[in-house]
Amino acid sequence: MTLNAQLSLKNIKKSFPSKNGSVEVLGGLTFDIHERDFVSIIGPSGCGKTTVFNVIAGLLDPDGGEIVYRGNPVSGLRGKVGYMMQKDLLLPWRTVLQNVLLGPELKRMPVAEARDMAMEYLNTYGLAGFENAYPRTLSGGMRQRVALIRTLINDPDIILLDEPFSALDYQTRLYLEGVLMEAVETFHKTVVLVTHDIDEAVALSKRVVVLGGRPSTVKKVYDVDIGARTPIEARSDPKFSGYFHALCAELDIQTQTRAAA
Amino acid sequence: MTQSISIDKTASASAKVGKPATARLIGSPWGRACIQAAGVVAFFAIWELASRLGLVSAFLVGSPAKIFQVLMQSLTSGQLLVDTGYTLFEAILGFVFGTVVGSACGLALWYSPLIARLIEPFVVAINSVPKIAFAPIVILWFGTGLISKVALAVSLTAIVALIAAYEAAKEADPDLQALLLTLGADKHEVFYKVVVPFTLPYVISTFRINVGFGLVGAVVGEFISSEKGLGHMIFTASSLYDLNSVWVGLFVLMLIGFVLYFAIDMLERRLLPWRQATSASTLRV
Repeated sequence: MTLNAQLSLKNIKKSFPSKNGSVEVLGGLTFDIHERDFVSIIGPSGCGKTTVFNVIAGLLDPDGGEIVYRGNPVSGLRGKVGYMMQKDLLLPWRTVLQNVLLGPELKRMPVAEARDMAMEYLNTYGLAGFENAYPRTLSGGMRQRVALIRTLINDPDIILLDEPFSALDYQTRLYLEGVLMEAVETFHKTVVLVTHDIDEAVALSKRVVVLGGRPSTVKKVYDVDIGARTPIEARSDPKFSGYFHALCAELDIQTQTRAAA
Repeated sequence: MTQSISIDKTASASAKVGKPATARLIGSPWGRACIQAAGVVAFFAIWELASRLGLVSAFLVGSPAKIFQVLMQSLTSGQLLVDTGYTLFEAILGFVFGTVVGSACGLALWYSPLIARLIEPFVVAINSVPKIAFAPIVILWFGTGLISKVALAVSLTAIVALIAAYEAAKEADPDLQALLLTLGADKHEVFYKVVVPFTLPYVISTFRINVGFGLVGAVVGEFISSEKGLGHMIFTASSLYDLNSVWVGLFVLMLIGFVLYFAIDMLERRLLPWRQATSASTLRV
């Protein structure tokens, strides 16, 4: 298992200062992400999902532990990851095209080349004709598509997603999940999805990491063995409800123990 | 079904009611302009009538006919244009200088929250002094010419721009900054690509206030010591009890403020095209 790990988190610890001393959020987190993996991280709210996310992105330094990327210990993956959140994080003062070009611009890619590439992506994802529109004139689904293109155009090694579709209506969400899965297949990407949505986690992932406890640790890792190509097919797979219920039970037990303590 | 029925009802109801005639008059730009012009004419007519009938003292409040006479005289002599140009120049110079320096300092504070916190109480202290109280010192330091008026206008405008720029830069969306960092940006790139554009609307919104402060600085400076300018004209006229000339000065100042306000409005549209873009979710309330 560890041999083909693209990214390994080893005993990651993180505390935050609070009124009464410090609160330990991550209490030694260990798991691997394989090459071309699709890993979902789920857990009860407040379990530090977003903290894990920020540690991997290189936005937070862990207090302890080690991050190993393709065999080398690293401090974080800044510049190697693509990053999508529930907020589309489009710069409102930039047009759709300028937003997509943000990454190439920071990498100092030749302008003409980057522009051609951006237009190709915009065409592929049905945004041709909107390249000069400002984000506020677009619908939520379109904005999230622009955010996805901005992520893909940088060709990141790992795509980090923090509940990227949870603010969208269900149809748009199913559609974008499909777009995401297809893009991940086409471009051979590794994806880490942080979500509270068990349904989404099962439908999209190859593996699900369940966090639990306070401070949180990896409670269990599920391999999701569903061969479906699209999120809709996955939801109608006979194995889907089995995984769904297993994960629900996993989270319920945790809430009960916490209430008792 | 029930839903579609209720929608039909409201639609037909609102069609029947329509808008009353007065609302339509105020609603159209021409109607509005007519009402506003009528208001101005009525105001001056009542003023003129009252001073002719002796209801108010023409000596203390002046009269529109005389004010117009003075206006024409000072226009033909060219003195009014000289004074206006001089004051306008001081005000704009003070405004531009103060805004640029102030915003630049405010933005620079983003780089070091430590230094920002260190100097914050001093900025607040300086801001809480009525800046007009500096006027005598400023005149002593910079003389009675142009520079002292500009310096006074700068002292008024810079602090407003500084506080606005600093407060806005502090609020710049941390998630957008995080996004740029994950894309491999360094601190300067985060500054130029996120913090500056984020702050721009807030800085521009101070333009409206600051253009007024620029005029205040110029005029007050002229009150204290000067040879030219509208402030000089108003001050001299009022010490000679020439109320009509005072009014001419005041109306010209009002006109300048008005024109500058609209110029700023146009500048804002030019600088912030993304704010003009219409959103699907914009509601008329």
